[in-house]
Order: sequence, then structure tokens, then C-alpha cells
Amino acid sequence: MITALLALTAPLVFAAPPTKSGPESPAKSVAIRADVVWLGDGRVLEKGVVLFSEGRIAEIGTNVSVPAGVETIEHKGFLTAGLIALHGYTGGQAGEMRDDARPAMPNAKIGLVFDASSPDVADARAVGITSLLLTPNAEGVAPGLTAVVKTSSRRLLKDEAHLSLVFNAGGLVSNREPTSLSGAVAMLDQLFAKPTGAVERAHGGSLPCLFEVGEPADVLRAIDFAKRHDLRGVIHGAVLAGEVADQIKASKLSVIVPAIGVGERRRNLKSVVALAKKEIPFGFGLDSPVNNPADLRLGAVMCVREGVDAKVAWNALTSEAARIAGVADRVGTIDRGMDADVVLWSGDPLDLGSRVIAVYVDGARVDGDKR
Amino acid sequence: MKSLIFGLTAAVSLSSGVASMPRDDKPESKSWIIWADRVYTGTGMNFDAGMVGVGGGKIAIVAASRGSDDESSDRILRCYAVTAGLVDASVRITNGASSVEQSNEIQPNLRVANTLDPFAIEWDRQLRNGVTSVLVNPPDLNVIGGLSVALKTAGADTIAERTLKNDAVLRGSMGSEPSRGNHPAFGRPTDFFSRRPTTRMGVEWAWRKAFYDAAAAANDSTRAFPGSERLVQALKGDLTISIQAWATQDIRTAVFLKEEIESQAEFKNGLNKPRMFIDAAAEAWKEPQLLVRAKIPVVLPPFPAAGRTRDNSFMAWNVAEELRKEGIPFALSSHGSAAPENALAMQAGYAMQGGLPFENALAAVTSMPARLMGVADRVGTLEVGKDADLVLWNGQPFEPSSRVIAVIVDGVLRYDARDKAVAK
Amino acid sequence: MLTLVGCLAPALLSPAEPASVSPHSAIESHTDGAQAGTAKKDPFETIFIRAEHVITKPGTVLDDAAVLVRNGRIVAVGTGLSKPDGATELSGKYVCAGFIDAWSALGVASEALVDQAASPATRTADGVDVFNFDHLRRDALRSGVTSARIQVGATGRVGGLGAIVRLAPGQSEDDVVLSPDCNLWMTIGLTQGSQPLFDNQGELIGIGGRAMDPFERVESVDRLVSTLQAGKNYLIAKNEYKHELEAWQKTITEKETELEKDAKKAKKDREKAEKDATEKNKKFEEKKYKEDKKPTAPRIDEDNEVVARAANGELPLIVHANRVAEIRALLQGTESLGRLRLVIAGGAEATFFSKQLAERRIPVLVWPAPLGRNRPDEYEASDLSLAARLKADGVQVLIGSGGIDPAATRDLPLLAGLAIGAGLDRAAAFEALTIGAARVLDASDRIGTVEAGKDADLLVLDGEPLVSTTRVLNVVAGGRVVALKED
Repeated sequence: MITALLALTAPLVFAAPPTKSGPESPAKSVAIRADVVWLGDGRVLEKGVVLFSEGRIAEIGTNVSVPAGVETIEHKGFLTAGLIALHGYTGGQAGEMRDDARPAMPNAKIGLVFDASSPDVADARAVGITSLLLTPNAEGVAPGLTAVVKTSSRRLLKDEAHLSLVFNAGGLVSNREPTSLSGAVAMLDQLFAKPTGAVERAHGGSLPCLFEVGEPADVLRAIDFAKRHDLRGVIHGAVLAGEVADQIKASKLSVIVPAIGVGERRRNLKSVVALAKKEIPFGFGLDSPVNNPADLRLGAVMCVREGVDAKVAWNALTSEAARIAGVADRVGTIDRGMDADVVLWSGDPLDLGSRVIAVYVDGARVDGDKR
Repeated sequence: MKSLIFGLTAAVSLSSGVASMPRDDKPESKSWIIWADRVYTGTGMNFDAGMVGVGGGKIAIVAASRGSDDESSDRILRCYAVTAGLVDASVRITNGASSVEQSNEIQPNLRVANTLDPFAIEWDRQLRNGVTSVLVNPPDLNVIGGLSVALKTAGADTIAERTLKNDAVLRGSMGSEPSRGNHPAFGRPTDFFSRRPTTRMGVEWAWRKAFYDAAAAANDSTRAFPGSERLVQALKGDLTISIQAWATQDIRTAVFLKEEIESQAEFKNGLNKPRMFIDAAAEAWKEPQLLVRAKIPVVLPPFPAAGRTRDNSFMAWNVAEELRKEGIPFALSSHGSAAPENALAMQAGYAMQGGLPFENALAAVTSMPARLMGVADRVGTLEVGKDADLVLWNGQPFEPSSRVIAVIVDGVLRYDARDKAVAK
Repeated sequence: MLTLVGCLAPALLSPAEPASVSPHSAIESHTDGAQAGTAKKDPFETIFIRAEHVITKPGTVLDDAAVLVRNGRIVAVGTGLSKPDGATELSGKYVCAGFIDAWSALGVASEALVDQAASPATRTADGVDVFNFDHLRRDALRSGVTSARIQVGATGRVGGLGAIVRLAPGQSEDDVVLSPDCNLWMTIGLTQGSQPLFDNQGELIGIGGRAMDPFERVESVDRLVSTLQAGKNYLIAKNEYKHELEAWQKTITEKETELEKDAKKAKKDREKAEKDATEKNKKFEEKKYKEDKKPTAPRIDEDNEVVARAANGELPLIVHANRVAEIRALLQGTESLGRLRLVIAGGAEATFFSKQLAERRIPVLVWPAPLGRNRPDEYEASDLSLAARLKADGVQVLIGSGGIDPAATRDLPLLAGLAIGAGLDRAAAFEALTIGAARVLDASDRIGTVEAGKDADLLVLDGEPLVSTTRVLNVVAGGRVVALKED
């Protein structure tokens, strides 16, 4: 018998809670002229100038009038939006990312665990990552709410980005309910039968869900659940998701591709090609600090070499990832009014040989070559 | 060619040799025509040098002639014998322990269909052995494990599209298996396996309690509990119950349970009409009169090589023939085993070794399990209008030297021995 | 019985017919340059490659040039070459030498890789696996890696003799091994065993092992040095024996000549002495000449033979070491072995010793892979910028794919790209993957550059090598065009 569940509101509490206010130090206004500016979604500006003001992008163009007293940095190279890494617990602590006692904690906010001063955050920044989607470990049935953070200051961009729901056998344990996939689905059905809190918001469509899966069969199970309860959101965890691309396309869910590393099987890379061919929106998972943040760009390059269009791969690192994280109105592209999160590269960012020269978050320089 | 008719039903269309099949242009689902030296329909009528025609996913024609299609047509498949696709009423192509919810011993609500993987390689194996429809049961780690599902072994990518019948059977087990892993609470309980039942008596008690509680819930809605509606359906006979019982004492217990439901006062008002079959009834031969009296069909597990099989039960080659002589309806099964010697077609061969006639063996792996699963209107025999699930053999079916050379499911050629891979 | 649809086997071209050759064909019979006695092997094609830029060796680029390949060798490189009739023609933007993975696991069986019982005399070349992992070999070729150094016993304290194999598919074992003994291998201070774990398809699924404690680590350096010393002593003993034997033989020959010269006189003396003895009734004693004892040969020890070669500088010794303590002890311990050609593999903390490494001309074989939280202990300080920092300090840098995961060889150009992105200059990375590796492994007479006389291991690219967006258009491995098309 599945016992009635209490909707748990006690969040995971840890260290210094991030603030929602602006960046730590007020950003100076800065203008950068770069040889090539990638605005995002395929738009390119040659010899473009981008002007920051108060942490936002104020002006873009080839003939921008830079106000007096504002420094213009000449950059021989590329200027792009900062990279967005999806899935992981950078800045969290391994033990804090899951709760062993209860399988369903739909209102637990993982964002509260984020510590921006962690060295993992600095490592992510150093490779050009400016935003991260933090996710609770895929255990139990509803481990909590994901959050979007920036790799600087203690800035929580979105403290409630997705409701995480687990559909893979890896989330089950043998000595706690549920022990079976059917029990997990039954528990989730029960949660959604009398929705409250975050579950209610998901049910109403205002909160997207993160469906944690493993095998293609799990993907189908998640799609079926989403259909039954009219949910929207994104699927993460199936390296072979591309083999059920037709069903994913019909479901209108997006995909977070699990982190890719050196020696990745061709079959997994071909799966990403299949997703791209069907024009399914996807972003790249990173799972740092278990994985090195350098794997983010490496994985994108490996997908391009396998056959994914370079533009699609770049969008997956930036604008599409922002859409999946629900923050596309703030980051992911270079447009007037967007947050000034940009990276200066020595060359084409999809060539691994290009270096990160400088990283700006909210208009303030946070990392990069000292040369 | 003069067509020979042996009292066919009206549904079979016959003319002087002209077979007009609806043309299907999709490459994978042609309107196949099977020319077999032997057509075993499973209805008692067999033909020499006959044909079976397929159209729209159903059997369109069964005839004792070859029809007039051009011999070189690529829609024609030739074989020695053709039978209906085999049906296995006890299969376990699941995700192991994650396919049964063990937090509670009584789980009548949970569907094993939610836990299945349509991409598992075991489906392929079943298909190559000629099995086209199966009843997938949850692993028997609970007293009542949940709702089994009847589905085809090949077809679309989703379980839902392959399903023949959802919630076909309520599945549970007698004997010692459900209590394995439970431990009494010495000191403090460490996890929820510290619970009853810990013996086969306790298992029987759990069954009875579940049904008694369900009957009470049917009469008083405040006593309803999750799954009680399913148990009530089972009591009313709307949901068939499948109980796994290897040893004779467990078979006896199941029989007594059914008879108790049929006779006790608590189960009046229509709650006393359970329909039941016993799965893995290896020792059904020991007390057959009980099964005859209670009118309970059985499913036999694979014939063991040396007699002893699970739960300390004993089963010999002639058990099937004995049951037939007693008049007990039975089906054969592979009971979820992946070993080649336990394949369903082999079971029919072993049963024939033990004396069972061919027609009965064929029925035991086709029409009888279909009936037990409640899908006999769709599969189980070669009759016009039924699903086009066919198996082509290169020899007499069930002889060890014969092989399955092609399998058609819902009119699509899903396995072709000429290809290295399964034809998709 | 189902009727079988007959299928015709593709007709084999007989050597007598002129073959129509397509640019991307694999091994095909050809009248031109047919070798004698090619019962098993197909004759080589003549290949003519045109490119906008031919990188002959690091730093030397010929514009609008061509390369002519015949009988498996590069016969000509330059501008103004013309295509011979019947040659296969390839063209692209860049042509360069095929990449060499100096630290690979592709082609050696996984059991051999983790063999803890390997000894210096164990030859990787004897256990080369030409059948398994064909798909990984093709993937590596598609990325431009044409040869790889593989190592038996790579995770043990002492490995065997490494070998360089060509990654071209479908070749026999004779063709595949480029060098049967290119190096000796030892490890110090690693997570004990550093056992790679493989699934039953041979794919790498993880690395296990027990971390060594500091005493064990230091002890392992001592053992390494003493092994080398033993080898050196064995060599010295062998040489001494040789000299002693020579001296002994010389003495014997001299004496024999001497005796021969005075033979007559000696005979007369003997007769006289005999006569004297019989006259005086004394017993006649023969003058005996005793031979000096022949010097005993030192016992032949296969392992020491190999170690001696390394100690003598005939073979490079590659030592897998990462931490400061081990590298310091290693450098100190090997200081007296003046002829030793040392290479350090891994070297995560080697920048502490850059000066010494540069002075002693010890190259470092770097594995520039992004490592995460679960990296083995000894790689704690590992950083993608290691190669750049070493190079800046004047140390020669080589790049390899780590020698554990056979699938990683395919990603060697990407690993080089990561090193470049972390600061290594492109030319140094390119050299590391081509002539740099070839030179260190004593294979530079055969591979590593695009020069006449060398084996034809070449890449035809649509852009600069080692830029991630560049695609490999064609690969010539061992003088044959490799079919890159996927089935």
C-alpha cells in the first residue's frame, strides 16, 4: 500500500543563502570591439562593438557611440554570449544534493545549497561558463526543484526552474518505497492527483519539469506521464535518446544531452545527431564537478565532428540552453537589455584551440587571461 | 488447380484458385502469402499443401489450395509447416526487482506494463522462437504482485502500441517465494522487509486477508484501500486471477482459496465468482481431482531435465498427457526462462515425448494460453479475421530438428531466418 | 523450405585487367607497381596528392605542391610534380604527416594491458590484436591518427617492450607492426595497479585501484633505479666477459704460436730430457702446459638484456610518474646513468623540475584530458595547461591519449586541441603528434614527416591540422588509401 504523502515544504538548508539582488560590485560601463561578434541564434556581426551599462547590454552595432569616460577594449578575436551548462551540482556539496529519507520532496529548493565561492565555480568560469542549471540527484521520485545560478557573486538567477521527476531504475532503492518503476509512477500519479505547491504549478503549466531518465524505455515512460498530466519540460539522462527521437519530437519536450567525454561511444554521439536532425531543442549537460568543466565545449565539438550542425551545437551551449533553463529573457544571446554575460575568445570557440581571454558576468570582468 | 475444401467456415473465401489479396505497397507489411506443405490451423482442421493469406494485419484467407499467384512473386513465403504464432502465458521480460513494488506484499493496483522495456533483447529471443503473444507477469517477490499485461513480442516501439490486453490478469503467488527476504523483527526493524509473511502459511493468510478486506470494502466504501477495487473485480470474476503454485500443497491451497470465496457468506452478492488459473503448476498431476472439482485450468512450467524443479516440486515428461486424460485444461510455458532448452516450442516437444498428441500440444501453446489470457478472439489459431500472427517452420513443428524460419506479427514479417538481423 | 534469394559475390578484379580506380578505393589490384610474390597482399597503388599547402615538417610548408607515393613510400614531394598515368589522385587544402599516438591502448588486448606480471622482455608486438576493435581503428584513422605506440603491462611496475603499430585496417601482423621494440616502460607511485575495468565488449567503464602510501611510492622509485642498475651491471658484466674472453683467446693464440715456433727446439729438449731421465734412472716428467681457465659467461637473463639496452641508451625508457616526490627521486636516482634516455609519462607535477628536464633533455609525454572529481590521486595537480607550461620552460612535450581507453585514440587531435586552448603553441602540438614522437621512439627514419624515402602515412585535410573544425578528407596509411566511408 502506498501511504499518503505529506507535501514537504522543508527545504534543504545550507550555508549562506544566495541573494537575489544585483552583482556584488557595481559594474563599470565598458565597451568592447571584437573582430567577430556572435549575437546568438546564428546572427554574426563583424567588427562589432558591444556596450555594457549597469550590468546589461546597452548597445550593439558597428558604429556605436561610446559615452565619454567609458573604456573601449579592442579584442582581436571572437565575442560571444557566455556558455550555459545544464545539470550538475557545481558549487554544491555531493552529500547535500539528495535526501535519503524521503522519495518525494517536490518543494525542496536545490538553489539554497549553492556556494559561489566554491573552487568548482571558478573552474567553470575559467572555461567560459557564465550560468549553470543546478539539479538535485536523480533519486527517489521527486527530489526537488532545480535552480539557475551565475558563476559569479552569489547570484541566483532563478530559484525554481524545474520540478525534477525521476523515471529511471537508478533512482530506486530496494529498502524504501518505491522499489519498482510502477510504484514510482503510482507515487507520482498520487502526487499529481491532489497537486499542491510546486506540483500544482507544474500541473498548471507554469513550472516546467525535468524528467530524469536512463534508457530509451524510460524516455517513453516519461513522455507518457507528461502527456497524461499535461506537463511541459525537458528530458535528461538518456545517452540514446536520439533512438526515440520521433516520440520525443511528438511530445514537444526538450532534451539535455548527458555529459560527453573523451572516448565517448559513437552510438551516443549519433544519438545527438539524430536529435538535431529532428530539430528537437537540446542543450548539453555537464555534471560538474564530477566532470571537468572543459568537457562542455569538448562534447559540443565532438558532436559537431559526428555531424551536428555547428550552429545547432552553439545554440545548444547558449541560447537553447537558456530556453531550457527558462532564462532566455536574461541570458544566452547578445541583445539589448540582456544581462551582460559574455566571453572573449582568441578564435572560433568551436575550435578547442581557442582560449578564453576574458569572462564578463553582469558586465563585470570575472576571469580570463591576464595577458 | 482444383481446390480441395474440407468443410471450411463461411469466412474463408475460395474460388477456383484465384486468390485476390489486397495489395499493400509498404515494403515491410506486404500482403504475405504462405504456401505450406502442412497448414495447422489449431481448430482441428489441417491441410496439406495449403496456403494462408494476410491482409491489413489480419488473416484474410486460409485454404487448402495454393491459389493462383505467380510463383515468383516476392509476396510468397514457402515453408514446410505454418501454425499460429505461439502464445506464452508466463513470461518475465521485465526489469527484475524494479518491476515489482515490494514496499507492500499486496499490490493489486500496480501495472507491470509501466516497467517494461520495449528495447530489451529478450523480445527478440522470444520472437525467434516463434512466440508472438505473451503474458508478462511481475516477478513473484510479492504475495500479490500486480496486474500483468498481454502483448505482442514485436511491433511498434512503445509498450502501449504492442499491448493486446491491458490489466489482463491479477498476478500473485503461493508457496515459499513471496516470503523470501522478509524477516521477523528481532530487535528494531531495519527496513520494511521486517514484516509478515515469513512462511507459506503467512502467504496464504495474506491472500485471504486481502480478499476478505476487499469484500468488506465492497460493502462499505469507508473501508476501501488502494487496490481494493481490483480485488473486488477479481472476486466478481471480471478480472482473472493467476496464482503461481509449484508444489501440490500450494496448488491445494489455491483451490481451497477459490472454494472458500465461492462458499463463504462474506463473499455473497456476486463477489463469489472468481476466475482463476494456476501458473507453474508442476505438481498438478498429484491431486488432479481438486482441479477438476474446482474447474481451475493450469499453466505448466518448463519440463525439468531431472524431475526436480522449483519450490521442491517434481514434474515428469508425461505430466501433460496425464492432465489431458483427467480433462484438466492446461497450457505450456517457458516461465520466463531464457535458456534455449526452455523455449516454448521445446516444451510442446517434451510434452509429446511424454505421450501428448500433437493437436493437444499445439493447442497448449496457442489457443489455450490465449484463452487463459482473455485474448482468444485475437490470437491463438489460424482463422480468418484473427491477428495475422504466423510461424513458419522448416519441419514438423516441435520436433527438435525443426526450426522457426519466419515469424509474422500483425501481418508484418518480423523475423526472417534469411537475414542476419531481425527484419524490422 | 524458404527459397533462398541468390546473391552474387562481387567479381574480383584480376591483375591482368586494367582497373578503373576511384579516389577513395581501398585495397584494389593494380597493374602498376605490382610486387612480386603478392599471394597474400595486394600490390600498392601509386598515389598523387595535390594540396594548397603541404606541411613537410613542423615549420616548413610548401604551397601548391604535391606528394607522390609509390610502393608504400613517399617518393617525391614538391611543386612542379606531375601526376603519373593511372595514379590515384587526391586533393585537399592541407597535407601533413599522419598523427602518432605515443600513449595508446588501441591494438593490445585488455588483459595484456593490465598484465601485472609483465617483465622487460615481454614484447607487446607478440600480442598485437589485429582483429578486435576494428571500428575503433577506423574511427582513429578518420581523425587522422595513423599509428600508435602500445604497451603491454602498462599498469604494472614494469611493463614490457612497447611497439608502434600502424592503424590501417585489414593488414596482416607483419604489416601492422612498425617497430617491435620502441621503448621500455615502468611506473612509479601510481594508484596501485590503476586497474582499468572493461565490460564484456571490451569497452572501458572505469578505473579502480588502491592508492599507494608514501613509503610504497618512494620504495618503487628505489626498485626502479636498482632494476636499471642491475641492467647496467649486467651490461658491464657482459662487456667485461667479452673483453676477458678476447684476452684469454689472445693469450692462448699467442702461446700456441710461441709453441709452434719453438716446436723443434722443444722436441729436442724433450728428447734430451727423456734420455737424461732414463740414464739417471729418474722418472721422466712431462712438462705440462696448463691452459688458463676460460672466463665464465654471465648467465643470460632476457630481462636484463632489455634493461641493459635501456640503461645503455639504445632504447628510451618511459616512466609513468606524476608526483613531485617520485619525479625528484627518479631524477636523482638516474643521474649516474649517463646514457639512459628517459621520458616521463604523465608528469602532472613535472614543472617543478623543468630546469633539470630541459638540461637533461628529458621529454614529458602529456595526457591532456579533462579530469573531474573522480580522478586518480596522482593526477590531482593535473591541468590542461601542463603542456604549455612545460614547453614554455624549454622541456620537449609529447602528447598521448592516456594508454588506458582504446577509444580515446580517436580523440587525440581533440586532446591536442585542448592543450592548445590552454596555451600550448600550435606548432609544438603538431610536432608532438608527428616527428617529435617519431624521433623519441626511434622511428623518425620511417614516419613523422612528409619527405621522400619515408613510409607514406599522410593526411589530406580541408583546413589546418589540429583545428577542431578541420575535417580529414583522405588518409593514406602504409602507402594505401584507407576507405573512410562508413557502412
